Amino acid sequence: MSEQPYVIEMRHITKIFGTNKANDDITLQLRKGEIHALLGENGAGKSTLMSILFGLYDPDSGEILKDGKPVKIKDPNDATALGIGMVHQHFKLVECFSVLDNIILGKEDTTMGFLKKKTARKKVLALSEKYGLHVDPDAIIEDITVGMQQRTEILKMLYRDNEVLIFDEPTAVLTPQEIDELMQIMKNLASEGKSILFITHKLNEIMEVADRCSVLRKGKYIGTVNVADTTKEELSEMMVGRMVQFAVSKKDAEPGQPVLELKNLNVKHPVHKKPAVNNVSFEVRAGEITCIAGIDGNGQTELGYAITGLEKPDSGQILLNGDDITRKSVRYRTDNGMSHIPEDRHKHGLILDFTLQENMVLRRYMEPKFQKNGFIRFDEVRKYSDMLIDEFDVRSGEGSDTIVRSMSGGNQQKAIVARELDHKHDLLVAIQPTRGLDVGAIEFIHSEIVKKRDSGAAVLLISLELEEVMSLSDRILVMYEGEIVGELDPKTTTVQELGLYMVGAKRDDGKEGR
Amino acid sequence: MSGFRKLIGKSGFKSVISSILCIIAGIIVGFVVMIILSLFNDKINIGDAFYGLRIILGGPFSSGTAKYIITNLGDMIFYAAPLVMTGVSVALANKTGLFNIGAPGQFLMGTLGSLLVALNINTIDKPGLSVLVWILAILVGAVCGAIWGCIPGFFRAVFNVNEVIVCIMTNWIAANIVSWVFGEMPHLVNKGAGKSGYLFTTATTGNSTPKLGLNNIFKGSYIDIGIFVAIALAIVIYIILTKTTFGYELRACGANKYGARYAGMNEKKNIILSMAIAGALAGVGGALYYLCPGIEFKFDSAYAKLPDYGFNGIPAALLGSNNPIAVIFVGLFIRYLSIGGDNLSSAGYNKYIADVIIALIIYFAGFSKLFRDIMDRRRKKEASIIKADIADVKKDAEPIIETSEAEATAEAESNVSPDVQPVTGEEVDQ
Repeated sequence: MSEQPYVIEMRHITKIFGTNKANDDITLQLRKGEIHALLGENGAGKSTLMSILFGLYDPDSGEILKDGKPVKIKDPNDATALGIGMVHQHFKLVECFSVLDNIILGKEDTTMGFLKKKTARKKVLALSEKYGLHVDPDAIIEDITVGMQQRTEILKMLYRDNEVLIFDEPTAVLTPQEIDELMQIMKNLASEGKSILFITHKLNEIMEVADRCSVLRKGKYIGTVNVADTTKEELSEMMVGRMVQFAVSKKDAEPGQPVLELKNLNVKHPVHKKPAVNNVSFEVRAGEITCIAGIDGNGQTELGYAITGLEKPDSGQILLNGDDITRKSVRYRTDNGMSHIPEDRHKHGLILDFTLQENMVLRRYMEPKFQKNGFIRFDEVRKYSDMLIDEFDVRSGEGSDTIVRSMSGGNQQKAIVARELDHKHDLLVAIQPTRGLDVGAIEFIHSEIVKKRDSGAAVLLISLELEEVMSLSDRILVMYEGEIVGELDPKTTTVQELGLYMVGAKRDDGKEGR
Repeated sequence: MSGFRKLIGKSGFKSVISSILCIIAGIIVGFVVMIILSLFNDKINIGDAFYGLRIILGGPFSSGTAKYIITNLGDMIFYAAPLVMTGVSVALANKTGLFNIGAPGQFLMGTLGSLLVALNINTIDKPGLSVLVWILAILVGAVCGAIWGCIPGFFRAVFNVNEVIVCIMTNWIAANIVSWVFGEMPHLVNKGAGKSGYLFTTATTGNSTPKLGLNNIFKGSYIDIGIFVAIALAIVIYIILTKTTFGYELRACGANKYGARYAGMNEKKNIILSMAIAGALAGVGGALYYLCPGIEFKFDSAYAKLPDYGFNGIPAALLGSNNPIAVIFVGLFIRYLSIGGDNLSSAGYNKYIADVIIALIIYFAGFSKLFRDIMDRRRKKEASIIKADIADVKKDAEPIIETSEAEATAEAESNVSPDVQPVTGEEVDQ
């Protein structure tokens, strides 16, 4: 492997935005047929570097070599011509087109103006066979799962005969099973001679698939290591610049009174009206982190919607501090001590076209502190926003005035977490609170959540990350097909046992699992 | 230099520049149309095209003698007032994510309400009362427009019926109602001087919009204080949108209704309120227009045609980037070109050439985002060469990755109902 020549070399790349060195003398060498991970915190310069490789930015200095020859990449078309393809974190698919249409879009072969779909279909099927990328070429994008959409994106690159494949945080949107499949696909691709650049900040995935790993920190190149010769701890230290605690340090919980009580809750799916949550009852006590674990799509989203008031439950009762809030508004819940870190930061958590400071008061703008006679007190809003930005280290181009859409996903998430944790609450509903964050930020948010717990708040955590579930929670409830199938103690259980509950192979009530 | 750079970076400045580029592009293409016309019409030669362009660009100032220039300036200002009102109406609804194509209907209902008050109460002998009746007429016009705006808002909020469809239906219902109501009121119909189907004007009842001496400055024109009402309301709407919690809610609902719901805002209430205020504004536009003693309302054919003022609010809002203050200037500008068009016959052209040019400018307004993107891109190139104080380039730089190369995708995505994406969560709603 190490004898393979470099297919792409980026030498001494520097890119400056204003006074900010986004990339400072970075060298990246990609060998043919390897999986090369690019690791770095949110805002470390990974995206800038990849944008340079993909022709979206001009570097200020430095050169790019393809197969040892210097090349100039001025726009994405140049990159494509050189055989460089990219799967973006947010897919670039036409939702109402079929898989096949999306794959050939932009590279349509025609005879006399008519599409040669048959040949295209043959080629796509051959490719999906060869690399184990299972898709239905006739399915419409909006009907298929995220994993399948991603495979469509990969096929798009392969259809264009790309040699160098860039994956930008490909696992952020996938379920654990889909992640496993993707890892296998990446290995297949590499063994067929494709070279893969894998941008991520999930260390487990690097350890699993990558051959080598280059680390960036605050725009600087830290080093490249052989994954086989390193450890997770070493990588994270390179990335963050200090030792990172993987295990959350916390005292034993001292559960108090129940803050949130669910009684026989039933929720239907908001769109296709199938039952999504079946007869769920549990309580979340003060001073305790209760976690709902489960594979994505087993009703956690709908459960979260019902508890936070985004959707009305079908039947059953929700009590907050003994007060029946089943039919109460979102505003009522907020005012009565519920904080909510939503699952989907773009859809619910933020108004992307608003400034950061406007988003920081999204759920509090009507408080007397921030408004007088219906006029927003922008000076107070700014002070408050600057305070949160400082305290939670939210990084952005122009501080409080930044349009949130332009911020990186991790910093958007930090802004939401800052807003919700600072809001006075008895109950924190945190749904995937660390989605898309790097280990440093995860560590910080976990410790903040534990602090909230220690100060007596009840925390309901809904998470798909097994590691997070195991390390953060005091009590685990497993959700499977809309039901709570088990209650586990993270201190005595194992990931394997949790996994059995999650796939429905085991359940507490003794019913036979599948 | 760095101050200038900062200025270019401001999005407001960019909107202004891109609007000006739209205008220039529209005028250039309009000029080409004039040249082409001159080739096919024996009565016009190419020289007339240049002359004609000069006339249009001159607006009221190409009216010949000073007397006409003054009159036409006054008329330009008068006609701009209702246009500003419907423009602000459309802009406000747009900020809330709604397309108010119902402005013509709301304009007509405003006309109906205000004229019913102003023509049924005679204050010709009691000049002290006339201002009160005038104010009452405006208010009733506003309320009628608001009710008319509420209807599409209500259907949108409660039954999720597309407001465009309901707006179009309510437009024609309004047109018929107006014809019918005034048809039942023969005492309001002006039967004199061989006219048919016209109402009396407010000159007969003394409730016209005060002129406050403006008619002495702009002699011979229709001008009255309507423009001040329009400017004041535009400023009020601007303040509401940018400074108040209510405006914050409206904008939040428009920018991301799911986010607004998460924030605990009552999105249904906001949709209805936004449409009601938009309707009131268009209604005031109708009132201001017909409360002028010089303007007659032809009610008997009202059912067959929707008022242009209602529809022209849409381009006014578009060209003003939905900014109420900008709409004031856009309204004046559109009328400026129209007056120029009225003078076109001296160059041998039909006056509707001005409408063609206005239409072209509006057409190019659809490209204003393109102009803005071009400006962004140029600045990014510069940024890599000149290491100036451009912290804000970063803000523009990041999203371009998504906008530039995935325009088509994003467009298609935005057409798809976001309801059906519970899993991914990370939708790109550019």
